Parts: sequence; structure tokens; C-alpha cells
Amino acid sequence: MSYLLQQAFRSGKFVFGFSIFATILLIVFIYPLVIPDPPLEIIGQGTFFEPGIYVNVYDSIRAPTYILNLRGAAANRIASRLNQADRLAMKEWLMAGGGIAEDEIDIEDTALLLGLWVNHYSPTKNVPGMTNARRNYFARLDISLRGLLSTEGVSVAVKNPDTGVLEETSFIAQSDYANINQVANVRVLPLGTDNFGRDMLTQLVAATRVSLIIGFIAGLLATLIGLALGLLGGYIGGIVDDVIMFITNLFIVIPSFVLLILISFSIGQEKRGAITVALVIGLTSWVWTARAVRSQVISLRNRDHVNLSKLSGHSIGYIIVSDIFPYIASYVVMAFILQISSGILAEAGLSILGLGPRTTEFPTLGLMMNWAMIYQAQILGKWWAYLPVLIIIALITFSMNLMNTGLDQIFNPALRE
Amino acid sequence: MKGYWKYFLNKFGWFLITFVCAFLLNFTLPRLMPGDPVAAIVSRLAQGMSDATGVQAIYQQYADLFATNQPMHEQFFIYIRNVARGDFGFSFSQYPRTVAQVIKGSIVWTLALQFPAIIVGWLIGNTLGALAAYLKGGFDKVLMPISIFISNFPAFGMAVILMVVFGVYLQWFPTSGGYGFDLIPTLSWNFIWSVIVHYQLPFWSIVLIAIGGQAIGMRSMAIYELNADYVKYSRFLGIKDRKIIGYVFRNAMLPQITGLALSVGTMVGGALVAEIIFSYPGLGFTLLTAVRGQDYPLISAATLIITIMVLSANFLIEILYGFIDPRIKAAQAD
Amino acid sequence: MSKKLNVLISALFIFSVILTACATPTPQTITVVETQVVTVKETQVVTVKETQIVAVVPTAAPLDAAAVAAALPRNETLYFNGQQWGPVVGWNPYSSSNNNAMAISQQDSARVTMFETPYLYNMLDGKQYPLLADGDYAWNDARTEITFKIKAAAKWSDGTPVTAEDYAYTWATHVKYNTPTGAGNKDYIEDIVAVDAQTVVIKAKLNAEGKAVNPLLVSAFVSTNYVIQKAWTEILEARVGGDATALLADPAEDVVYSGPYHKFYTDDTKVVMVRDDNYWGQDASMWGKLPVPKYLAHAIFKDNAAGFVALQVGQVDVSQQFNANIQDLWLKNMLPISTYLPEAPYGIGASLPTAFFNLKSHGLDQVAVRKAIAMAVDYDTIISNAMTNQSATFNQVPRSLMNPTPGEQALYNHEAVKDLQWAGKDYEGAKALLDEAGIVDTDGDGWREYEGKKLSYVATCPNGWSDWQAAIEVVAAAGKEIGIDITSNYPEWSVYQTVVTKSDAPLAEGYDIFMMWSAGAGPTMPWGRIRNLLSSEFVGMASNWNGNWGQYSNPEVDALIQAIPGETDEAKLIEMYTELVRIYLTEIPSFTLMYRPQSFHAVNETIWTNFPHQDDGTNPPVPPLNLTDGWSIAGLYNLMLTTP
Repeated sequence: MSYLLQQAFRSGKFVFGFSIFATILLIVFIYPLVIPDPPLEIIGQGTFFEPGIYVNVYDSIRAPTYILNLRGAAANRIASRLNQADRLAMKEWLMAGGGIAEDEIDIEDTALLLGLWVNHYSPTKNVPGMTNARRNYFARLDISLRGLLSTEGVSVAVKNPDTGVLEETSFIAQSDYANINQVANVRVLPLGTDNFGRDMLTQLVAATRVSLIIGFIAGLLATLIGLALGLLGGYIGGIVDDVIMFITNLFIVIPSFVLLILISFSIGQEKRGAITVALVIGLTSWVWTARAVRSQVISLRNRDHVNLSKLSGHSIGYIIVSDIFPYIASYVVMAFILQISSGILAEAGLSILGLGPRTTEFPTLGLMMNWAMIYQAQILGKWWAYLPVLIIIALITFSMNLMNTGLDQIFNPALRE
Repeated sequence: MKGYWKYFLNKFGWFLITFVCAFLLNFTLPRLMPGDPVAAIVSRLAQGMSDATGVQAIYQQYADLFATNQPMHEQFFIYIRNVARGDFGFSFSQYPRTVAQVIKGSIVWTLALQFPAIIVGWLIGNTLGALAAYLKGGFDKVLMPISIFISNFPAFGMAVILMVVFGVYLQWFPTSGGYGFDLIPTLSWNFIWSVIVHYQLPFWSIVLIAIGGQAIGMRSMAIYELNADYVKYSRFLGIKDRKIIGYVFRNAMLPQITGLALSVGTMVGGALVAEIIFSYPGLGFTLLTAVRGQDYPLISAATLIITIMVLSANFLIEILYGFIDPRIKAAQAD
Repeated sequence: MSKKLNVLISALFIFSVILTACATPTPQTITVVETQVVTVKETQVVTVKETQIVAVVPTAAPLDAAAVAAALPRNETLYFNGQQWGPVVGWNPYSSSNNNAMAISQQDSARVTMFETPYLYNMLDGKQYPLLADGDYAWNDARTEITFKIKAAAKWSDGTPVTAEDYAYTWATHVKYNTPTGAGNKDYIEDIVAVDAQTVVIKAKLNAEGKAVNPLLVSAFVSTNYVIQKAWTEILEARVGGDATALLADPAEDVVYSGPYHKFYTDDTKVVMVRDDNYWGQDASMWGKLPVPKYLAHAIFKDNAAGFVALQVGQVDVSQQFNANIQDLWLKNMLPISTYLPEAPYGIGASLPTAFFNLKSHGLDQVAVRKAIAMAVDYDTIISNAMTNQSATFNQVPRSLMNPTPGEQALYNHEAVKDLQWAGKDYEGAKALLDEAGIVDTDGDGWREYEGKKLSYVATCPNGWSDWQAAIEVVAAAGKEIGIDITSNYPEWSVYQTVVTKSDAPLAEGYDIFMMWSAGAGPTMPWGRIRNLLSSEFVGMASNWNGNWGQYSNPEVDALIQAIPGETDEAKLIEMYTELVRIYLTEIPSFTLMYRPQSFHAVNETIWTNFPHQDDGTNPPVPPLNLTDGWSIAGLYNLMLTTP
């Protein structure tokens, strides 16, 4: 065994696959220790917050203030609210709605442009040929431009509980800065939030764990059933083999995916826990293992050492366990690995169809993907809500396939480069 | 030849039994699902009814019409009788459309999308695998892992990525439908071109996934055969390399062809995701909506079609094998 | 060796031939289409039985569709999404199972693209405007009869005039064949008679005192139900031989209509309707012109996401589906897309998606428990996360039984119930309420007990109804804050509906708090909505699609619901409605989770513009109902090309 392991780690493919997989496993186990937040807690009021560092505004007002006189600050401030497209649009409105000649407008001169805008723009003025969407745009732009060139700071005021009058408590100048380390509440959301307002990264880690467990259980079950049926059918042959092959064929002609949908639907969401889903996947996906094991066993059963064992009067069970199993063990391990990865894919596929595990208890990769798509993250460019999920799924299955190919080369010396 | 007939009849017998059992399961399984399909129809009919006096009567009417209030075995005999006449009955969820009409509208698209996608994926995958086995080196070390990585994307993920990149951002291909949103089907170049363009994204989303698995399988088989004794022996005999390679890949192909026949069965399920994401018409989505709407006759008919396709593909392959593979020939003599 | 190879190659060859045959389905499909067209034409003439089988063929295009250019001119076509899901089944205005949303929908604002109602309901001002009818209808003094005239200009598509006799016969047919319309209204309408060719009298069913049972439902009938041609109905009756099921199942490809549009083409992927250029409505007595788009087309998408992409890329002009975060389309993607209101909630809330309590669940028979849960729910999170702000908040529109439209809001006394309206996320208030009622955690496990049993509930809604599911998650989270264990569960719709609508038995386990809809805007509202939410007439009903699924029963409420339709005094009405709101907010048999528009309404102005929007200057105002429902069809006459 240790020899095999040694061999395995000499295979580049295996090592590469194994290190990806081990990294994922490590993260899955260590992350919750560092950040123990419940993964399904709704923290954001609103959907799909972008990845970034969220600084509490209330706390930063109260944080120690530093004055930094930075040259580009004012320009940045203006640029963040008025970009080139906005300037062109303003020019367009001023010409069409304000009757200003083109040469009077210089869109690079912010003060001049704003002056013209303030003097001429009117939200109620109907410009011919302008769509409602465009009218709304100008109305929004007009609001966002207010106070754009102001160099004044802002006052912070608190309502006096007795009189109801606003009383200024502090004043924030445009050159005031806070050190992020001194702000009481800062939350890093490396992958933003999802449609429920949950922290994507925390949820992703938890989901990976659950999906791995689902894949493992499903793979184990499928491999065990497949192995048992394959061994029995292949070794005993005759009517037993016929019956087993018949059952296998039934599962092939009614494809497992159809069965999976039918069964998942029948079980109903209330009973579809993660484990149930794993078992259902396992129960419907053993067919390939069974067929492959059977064909291997058939080629083995007439080997000399098996015949010898038969002659010595060993029982069927003994022969299967000690004379046949060792020869197909390597194959079974590889089939198991593949079954795990296809189990993870099956869970994801089911969830996308809305037939996955129930949502309140655990996140799974498939469910995360499903919700991201229901809230149209992919179309609105909210990449953080679905791309990391896809990449994790692909990385898990990829690493397993690599390990599998690596093992293949070790067990079948013929395949070595 | 006598041995072959025995083999053939044996296979045929088993296939017949399998078919009968599958038919039975196709009928029974959907009907074991919980819930009441007639209630769903009544809900549609009762919309806008400000009073419930008629609701119960409507319910009764439809329960009678669909015979859902009869015992299961009675329903089964009615079903067999009708199917024997080629009548699959009314679709519950799309009543008064019949199952035949519903399926006719979608099966062409499934065959057109999935069959070529499976074949192309199979061809590309096997070619890649064979080349990897034969050329080795950089090709094997770089191209193979890349194709494996790509095909390890879940099917819906591939579809989503293709749609976002090529449909939404680049806008090279349309994102939904089987043909142009502004077209009426006619036999014109305009229409055919539109069908081809709409076909691309769903097609490639299936093909790209299919390549990797095939390539891995073919590569292993080919390497295995390349190192087989007969190759060494042939080399020793001085047979031309090209000829040997021909033998090698043909032998390596055999199991791959079985895989191809069997993947016909996964066809409908495999296309389902592509159908949903690209709003492409097809059998997979018909089946899914049938399951959701507990449309027993439609589920039974759709699964029956799948069953027949898989069975016949399988049967064909097994029969061919009886002719081709010497090992199976030997087994016939057993 | 070579023999085997040959077999293999020939097998592959055969296979590939089959494949190529399959790979080029296009020409085949088309031949199919054309032959079917012919069959339809023939069978319509020949026998009756076969028409039923053949004529439903979804791919059957009318002959002129093939003759016309294959592409619909973009500048003459208005594209929709979100109305039609799945292929069209039929064109039968008597049936409600046509799955033909572009043509047939007889509801509060009836869809009048192909078939027409005497009046058009306008949800913005609550009035009914004449369409086929000539002028307003009139009640007699006893309020037992409605009289109105049919417009002289109104014509059927075959050129014959629409008459009072058609209307009377439509009603007679509904009753005779017990259609949903007939069954639903015959308890309120005694008869509809044609006095002369133009004059219609609707006689209300009278109660023991000689008063109309429900005048409100009688007056709503004129704007919610189509007029169908008598001559065609007689053809249909002859075809089905008087069989009611066959009558409702008939696809009615030959139907005669009076509306401006009719069938042009349908298949599994789209529905297209074409304008009838002889439409009677261009008469000066109605619109005075034809509706602007020549074609109305609706692509059939598999889910919201696909429809959303189509809206984004400009393949859809009018979108009637829930588009999450729609504001991103104009804020981030700078697309020419807009909604009825420029800012959140973007549309006009009309219906109140509601969470019902199963009043038989342990502890939920206690008002304190119900109120505590309702107070603890974080409605702002529901509205911002589940609805992506496409609903007014409960601070903007405090909860009552009314939807946010000004007409309904004016129907109750806000001051009188002010103290009862909770805003949500009031954990302390909820806890205090429970403590006060003696419902506390006695065994120290963190969950409260009532009569020694832990309060543990399942909140549920149908699977895949995304915004509802997200709302239920928030409800479940609220329970944990106040020591009540609430878990969520999403059964499939087909299972859910059978459980929830079976009101003749106690609700099954797992349905303690469950979501259902409540009625939107319509001529009977808010009375109809209140009846559905609170009336005990639905308790014990075997198939209850109306409401009050939690099986609440209160004689006081029933009496009010009974009295309102006959009441004409405005002040009295307000008093009664206020009383109903007071009871509802005190007893809390169910509670509103959000406001939802009657129809979602977003438009892409790349091709068309001048869609209805707030303050668009139309008078009467055109409601945002996708230019197809009720008075909103007036919007079709205002459309303009963005770049003419």
C-alpha cells in the first residue's frame, strides 16, 4: 500500500490533482475556524453587494479625523459623479431642450457646463423624440449634480430628543480622512453578497463542504451497490447474472437523470435533506460501476489462481473477497473517485432544476447557483454570485479526474508515459 | 451461424422483457408521485370564478375524463389499449392538446440538437484522445488537461458562461429560442440561417462538455492497445506502422462505440439544461414541465421514447458486436 | 479482419446517414407545417370529430402567414414577454384553459386584444369606460337591473354587427354549459336579455327581500367578460353536439371576434397576432384610428432569466415578468429601459401577497402568537431582497386591507387604525407581547412554550416562486429572534395547491404559515379582496380557490362583507371598511408581506416609445397593464416609433 502511495505521488497528474483537492479541503476546514459566522445569516438589506471592504459610515464619522490635502481629491470627487458620457448627454440636452448653440458648450469646463445646466434644465420640459428612459436619466443626473462643485463640508446633526430640533454635533470637511483601522466596524466581503444578502464567501465555503459530503455519500453508495452487483453477476454468472444485467439494463433504458427527477419530485422538498439527496443520487448512479466491475470479473473468473482456489474448495464469498477483489480494487478506487465527482455534479444539476435539497438548513453549490440564476446574476453582470461557484465545482471535479488519471497510470503500467 | 442465432434470440428475449418492464415502470413511476394533477387543471379553470359552486363539478368532470379516479390497474389497461392504437391520450397540463401533439412539437428539436452534438463531441473527443496517446509529449500534457478542465464544468455552468460571454457581452449569437424572434418559419435562407445561428450556443455547450470524457477514455484504450502484444508482434513482423496504428485505433474504438450508443439515453437529460438556459425547444424541458405538472400521460410517453431510443441503440450495438468481436463470438460457443 | 471492418464501417455509415437526416430538420418541419395547414382547412369543412384532433396542431399557421414575408418587420411589431408560458392550446373564449394569454384572459382587467368586453376597467381611476357599449350603463332605481346599449359601429370580424342578442346568447351559453363564467356568476345574475338589437338588460338575482344579491358583482360583469358572437356559438354547439366538456375543449380556430388583433402564427416558441385593418374601433365613436403596431408578438421563454436577456438586448418591448434589480439595466447598463414609476417601487402595487396562519396549529389560535410573529418579520428586508425594492414599504403605505392605489387608500379612516398598524422588525415589542400573554420559555431551551408545548412552525410556499421563497426565509428568521422556532419548506406547486385549496379538512402538517395571493385591482375591489381574505363562506369548501385558506371565521366580518355590495352611501362604506381593517389588524388571521403590481411593466424604448408612465399626460390615465388589459389597451393607440 505504501508502495502504491509512493508511486502515486510520483505521478505528476496525481500530485497536481491531489494538491488542488487538498487545498480545497483545507480551506473548507480552516475557514470556519477563523470566521465562525453562520453561513446562511442574512446580513445585507439589498441584493448582490459588490465585493469589497465595507466601512461603517456612522463609525467613520466618529473615528479620529486626519487632514490630508491631496491634489486629485476634488477631481476624483467630480469624476465619480459626472463621467464623460454624462457630459456628452448634458450637451445633448442643452442643445435639444435648452436651445444652446453647440459652440457655446464646452463639456470639459465643468463649472461652465454646470452653470448652463442649472440655468436651463427643467425636468418638466418635453424634448421631442426623447424616450421616457432618457427623461428619467436626466432627472436622476440633475439630482446627482447638486452641490457637485461645493467646497464646503457637511454638518452632522442630531435631533434633540426633548425639543426635536437638529443640533450640530460635528462638521466634516472635504479634506477629512479616517484611518480604516480605527473605524469600529469594517466588514470585508471578498465575494460580496448574494441575492439574500448573505456573505458569499462564507456561504461558498460551507456549501463546498456540504457538496463534498453529498458527493462522498452518493459516490460511496453507488460504488458499493455497483461493486456488489458486479461481483455477484460477474462471478456467479448464469441466471443471477441475467437478472442483475436485466436490472442494470432497466436503469439504462430509463436514464438515471429522469429517475432522479422523478424521485426527487416525489420525495418532496420537505423531506429532501442533503443526505436524502445524496442517497437518491447514489441509488440511481451505480449502473456504470456495476457493468464495468462485472466485465472485469468475467475476465478474471477463469484465471488459473481462481480455478485453483475453486479446486481447493473455498467458498464463493472467500474466492470473491480474496481472489477476485484485490485484482479489481484499483479499478474500484478509481470508479469511486469518479462517482464522487459525478455525485457533486448531479446535486448541482438537480438544484438548478429546483429539485435540490431544501434551502434553510445548508447551502450547497447547486443551490447557490440556482438562486444566483433565479435572481439573474449572470445577466446583470454580478459575476461574484455565480462564477466562484462554478469554478469551485469545476476545480473539485477536475482535481478528482486528474487524480483518477494519475492512478490509472500507476495501476496500468502500460499507460505510463 | 447457429450459435449466432441462439445469441441473437437470447439477446432479443432479454430486450423484450426489458422493454415490457420498462413500459410498466414508465406507466407506474409517474403515477406514484404525490399530488393531484386534476386539481392543477381545476385551478386553471377556476381562475376568476367568484364562487365555488361549479368548482367541484368541474373537478369531477376532469377526473372522469382522465380516468384518474379509477384504480391503477384499470388505468393501465385503458392506457395499453390506447397506446396499441397509437393514442397516448390527452396531456393533462396542456389539455386539450394531446400528448402526440406536444411531443411532435419538441422531439425534432431534441434530435436536431442532441444527436449531432453527441456525435461531434464523440468524434472530437476520440480524435483528441487518440492523438494524445499517439503523439504524447506536449500535446498530451497540455491539451489533454485543458480539455479535461473544460469538460469538468457542470453542464449548466458551461451554458451560462457561453451565454454571458457570446450572447450578452459579445452579442455574437442570439441568447434564446430555436430561430429568430422576428421570424415565421418558412423555407427560406433567412430562416435556415437563423436556425443555424441559434443552434450554436446550445450545441457547443453540450459538445464542450462531452469532449473530455471521451478523450480520456480513448486515450487510455489507445495506449493500452499500443502496448499490446499483437502490436509488438506486428512490428516484429515488419508490418507498416500506419497499418498497425489502424488496427490499434479500431480496437480501441470498440468500447467507445458502446459508450456512444448508451449516451443516447442521457441525451434528453443532457440537453435539458441547455434547453432551459437558451429557451431552446425540446423534449427535456417538456419532460420537466410534465413532471412538475404531474402530467402522467406526457411523462410516460416521453420516457417511453427515451426507452425505445436507448433500447434500440443498445440492441443494434450488441447485435453488431455478435458479428464483430471475436471474444463475444467465443463466448457464444460456451 | 477486413470483413469486420467493413461491417463496422457500413454500420457507421448507416448511422451517420440517419444522423444527417436528423441533423437537417428544418425542411422537414416546414413541410409538416404546410401539410397541416391543408388538413385544418379541410377538416373544418368535413367532419366534426376530426377537427378536434387536428385543428389544435400548434404549428398550424394560417395560409397567409406563409405568404407574407417570413420576418415580422421590427418597426411594426410590439414584442412582449412574461404573459405566455408554454404553447397556445386554443382560441376558445368560453374556456379558461386555452393557455393563450395574449388573446384570452377574463379577469378584473380583461384582456381585449382579440375579444372585447362591453366596458373597460381602468385600475388607475377605478372607472369603467365603454368599449362595445355605448355610453355608461344605468342601474334602475331598485338597483336590480343594469341597462346599456351596444355601439352601432361595433362589428364582428366577419363584418356583421355586434348586437344585444349576441351578449344575451353568450350568457345563455355560459349558463347552459356551466362554463367557469356561468358557474361563477349565476348566483348573482338572473338573466341577460336583449330588449332590442342594441339594448341589453342584465337582471340581477334577487334575495328574499327583493334586493339584488350582489350588485357589485353584477356591475363588474360588464367589464370582465367577453361578448361572443351568437352565430359562431351556434356553429360551435353543432360541432360539439351539445357536450359541455367538448365545448370547453374546442380549440376554436374558426372563432369570430370583435377585437383589433387575431391569430397570425403560433408554435412552441412564439405567438404572433396581427392587426385587423377592418377593426370597427377605428370608427370615430371609439378610438378613431387603428392601434399602432401591426403585430403583437410574444416569444415563449423557459424562465424569467431568458426573458430578461431578451428585454435587455431589445428583443422584447414590453416585459410582464419579475425582473430582479431592473434598475441596473438603466443605471449600470445605460439601456433605454424604463418602468411606470422612475424610482422604486417602479410599479403600482395592486395585490397583497399574504402569509396565512393555520388557525388550528398549536398556539396559532392565540392572537398574541400571531401578532408577535407578524410584528417581528423584517418587511424591509423582504422588500429590498426578495422584491429588489419593487414594492412600496409599509412605512410608505401602512398595512390595511387596501392596496396602495389612492382610490382604495381613501376607503378607510387611517387615523382610526393607526395604532394597530405595525411596521415590522419589532423584536422587543413582539417579545413583550408574548411575555404578557404568559407565553414564555419555561424549560430554558431558548424556545417559548404554550400550554407546555414548544412553539414550532413550518412556513411554506411553492417551490420555485423565488420572491415568495425569499420572503418566507425572512419570516423564518424572524421567529428565531423572538423564541419561536420557524423552519421553511417549499413543496412543489402541484402538491402545495392541493393541500392549501382543500378547505373541507384541516390543513396538513407543515402548513402552519403559508403564502398565497390576494386579489389585485378590479371593479369589485377592495370588497372582493376582503371577501377572499376573511369571509367564512370558504371554510369547508372542497376545492377552495378563493381565499381564507387559514379558515378564519367571524360572524361580524361576514355581516360586513354581506352588507357592503348593497351600500351606496360613501361615508357608510368608509365606516364599514375601517371596521374591517380594524378587525383584520387586531385578529391577524393573515398578514401582508409585500405589495405587488397587478402586472409587472417594464419597457424597452429602443424601437417604440410613448408607453404609459407616471404623469404621461393621458386622460383618462393609461394604467401600466402591458397595453393589453382593460383600459391599458388605449396605450396601443399612443405608441410612437423612437426613430420614425
